[in-house]
Amino acid sequence: MDNTTDSLLETFLFETNSLLEQLDERLINAEKAGSFTEDDVNEIFRSMHTIKGSSAMLEYQSLTEVAHHIEDLFFYIRENGMDTLDEEQKSELFDLMFKSMDRLGEDITRVENNQPLDADITDFTNEINSFLKRIQKKDADSSPSALSKAASPDVSPSKMDAPYLLRVFFEPDCGMENLRSFMLVTALEDKDLTFQFFPEDVETNSSTVGTIAENGFLLGFSSEKDAQSAIRVLKSTSNIHTYELISNQSNMQEEAGIPETAVPGKTNHTPPAGSTLLAGGSAPASHTKQSLISVNLSKLDKLMAVVGEIVITESMVIASPDLQNVKLDNFLKSARQLRKLTDDLQDIAMSLRIVPVSSVFQKMNRIVRDMKKTLNKDVRLTIIGEDTEVDKTIVDSISDPIMHIVRNSMDHGIEDTVEERLEAGKEAQAEIILSAKHTGSEVIISVEDDGKGMDTDAILAKASRNGLLTKPVEEYSKKEILSLLMLPGFSTNSEVTEFSGRGVGLDVVRKNVEAIGGVVSITSEEGKGSKTTLKLPLTLAIVDGMEISIGGNIFTIPIANIRQSFKATNEDIILDASGHEIIKCMDEFFPIVRIRDLFHMEEGFTDIDDGIMMWVEASDKSYCIFVDQLIGEQQVVVKPFPPYLNNFNIKHSGISGCTVLGDGNISIILDIGSIYTAAQEIF
Amino acid sequence: MSDTTSTGNLEEEQQTTSRFLTFTSDNLVFGVSTDNVIEIITNYMIRPLPMVPDYIRGIINLRGQIIPVMDMRLKLGKPFMEYTASTCIIILEIDSLHIGIAVDSVLQVQNINTALASPIPIENRQELTNLMLSLEDGTVVLLLDCEAVIRGSL
Repeated sequence: MDNTTDSLLETFLFETNSLLEQLDERLINAEKAGSFTEDDVNEIFRSMHTIKGSSAMLEYQSLTEVAHHIEDLFFYIRENGMDTLDEEQKSELFDLMFKSMDRLGEDITRVENNQPLDADITDFTNEINSFLKRIQKKDADSSPSALSKAASPDVSPSKMDAPYLLRVFFEPDCGMENLRSFMLVTALEDKDLTFQFFPEDVETNSSTVGTIAENGFLLGFSSEKDAQSAIRVLKSTSNIHTYELISNQSNMQEEAGIPETAVPGKTNHTPPAGSTLLAGGSAPASHTKQSLISVNLSKLDKLMAVVGEIVITESMVIASPDLQNVKLDNFLKSARQLRKLTDDLQDIAMSLRIVPVSSVFQKMNRIVRDMKKTLNKDVRLTIIGEDTEVDKTIVDSISDPIMHIVRNSMDHGIEDTVEERLEAGKEAQAEIILSAKHTGSEVIISVEDDGKGMDTDAILAKASRNGLLTKPVEEYSKKEILSLLMLPGFSTNSEVTEFSGRGVGLDVVRKNVEAIGGVVSITSEEGKGSKTTLKLPLTLAIVDGMEISIGGNIFTIPIANIRQSFKATNEDIILDASGHEIIKCMDEFFPIVRIRDLFHMEEGFTDIDDGIMMWVEASDKSYCIFVDQLIGEQQVVVKPFPPYLNNFNIKHSGISGCTVLGDGNISIILDIGSIYTAAQEIF
Repeated sequence: MSDTTSTGNLEEEQQTTSRFLTFTSDNLVFGVSTDNVIEIITNYMIRPLPMVPDYIRGIINLRGQIIPVMDMRLKLGKPFMEYTASTCIIILEIDSLHIGIAVDSVLQVQNINTALASPIPIENRQELTNLMLSLEDGTVVLLLDCEAVIRGSL
């Protein structure tokens, strides 16, 4: 039983969380537009219905009631539209809706953490009820009754004129018969059945529990076919004790009683929730049937690991020393085919885990909205590239960091008053730009604000006060000063606000980002604004690389970065005024970077005549690298460096990861972009 | 060590006694708690890394996992000794971080009563070790402070 409860719970949490997320998005968009579309209204209702039903099934009483009251609130809107409300009431309504969603979200979190739910919802209920009272012209304080589509006006058992009646009894001690009856009603409605039922007010009136326990729950159908469909639903419903089909026309009584043990009612609720999930977003009211399946992430992890090993092993087979110098035409042909298949396998496996970052970005809308009100600042959030797709684990890990950064921007970055902005020649409304884009092997996510920028002197002073400086103040470059912000225990805020200032934001951000193999950097200009950039790798990227060797050590350069390789002579080298080496290639001049010198290696060619020149490019940097030998093309599985090595800042010195070669040796992957930067700093 | 232990003391002694792996580096004997030891390997190809301190010899591929290797001698500021076939690398797991330390030789696993260890009396001493004690046969063992090992340079 425990197993089924656990998976039930898991499904419940997954569904409810997804629903709440979607609702949040809808609310934000609706608030921007100023009112709810019919689609919004239906969606909100459906979602609340589902949440209420699922919560009732798992016996989370307070959750059920909270969802119910939200429905009440919304019912009024649905019936009467938004036009009867004035501006203040509208804004209050939205606030109340958001607050209610948050309340639900908090309760769900409690359930997730196995904590007891707060059974006291009287405050919450009162808030909603009093709001409702205020916006209603007449003094109605009772929750609206007929919320179900198939409801018809008061029908007492004797007046039910349906030809076929179904009387349902629930198990004696199951409790909450009223809500169970209501769930049954919902389930039947989802099958598009029209019927009557008694008692009518099962959803809202808990005294019907007694009526149902004594007389059973009555359902009236107009055809036997409908009744039979209903019986099928009943068979898969939990806690049904007995049911009898009563044919009103004839006096025959067919009794069919099937005592059921608590069969998980999962099937009952996953269809409505599932179809709501699928239809969420832009779909119209009809549920489009997409075939989706939710898979445990750990299974995908295992799949990726195995696929990665297959790529390596395939290389080992093809490069096997046993096969050297043997003429093997058929073998090579099959090997090529194998290669093609493993390529496809890789692509598909990778694509399984890739999701767009929009889910994280949309959440930021909510944060900006809430902070706008609390901080009283006018800010708009612009989102660029939210369709950029990234591995799911990355999406999960960047959610908190991005939240911190956006909060920081809003709290510290944006000026406190509009006058300050106007004086600086900026628009009154501040802007925060959240963008994501791919560059070959990385994803770059940035948060940019046009606020007041960062005061480097204040930062140095604060760092000094907290004993965080490791060298004299004058020796800090601007970049280094801004990185001080990410040290633990740092904060330029003199007081702790609700959102930031505790000094735990940015260092946690950096830790989280580095844990997934990424890099955080901050740039800022006083008076103009600040920008925080996250560079993230595409995890388990399988990269097409060129193996090269320098001083006996093997390195890999991503093929995407290579433009050309050529042999050069000493005479081709030109020196500039400061003695830096330059070479001409394709009618243009490029600086030369000698990897051996950059990495302080003990061995490697020094004579240009001996080695190979490679023209490489990364985003806007174009230059030539001098290496000893080209070994060959190799598809490699990127492995990030162990986190311990982050202490030494190796990412900034030009190496982005490593890979295991077919023979078990390790090859280091060069990051063409940061090599150039590192070289600049040295020369 | 004194032999006058009553039954009460015996219990206490068992609580503070744990298993340590002892090894030598530059003729000093060190001990590291076996809770942190994953395995001991020899004869592994270490891939040197550019731009890291000299005591980080590089990285190794341990059944698909990339693990950094630190040389104990260099970390302690001692002269470097070339690796031979008998040089061992002890793979440690500290706070779920994996790191290997290259040592001269591995001695044995033994029970050590940490209650009998005392802090190292010298100021400005090597921070990698935090406690020292004498064993029954007279050898002095320096106990490794695992947290200090992974702290890395600032």
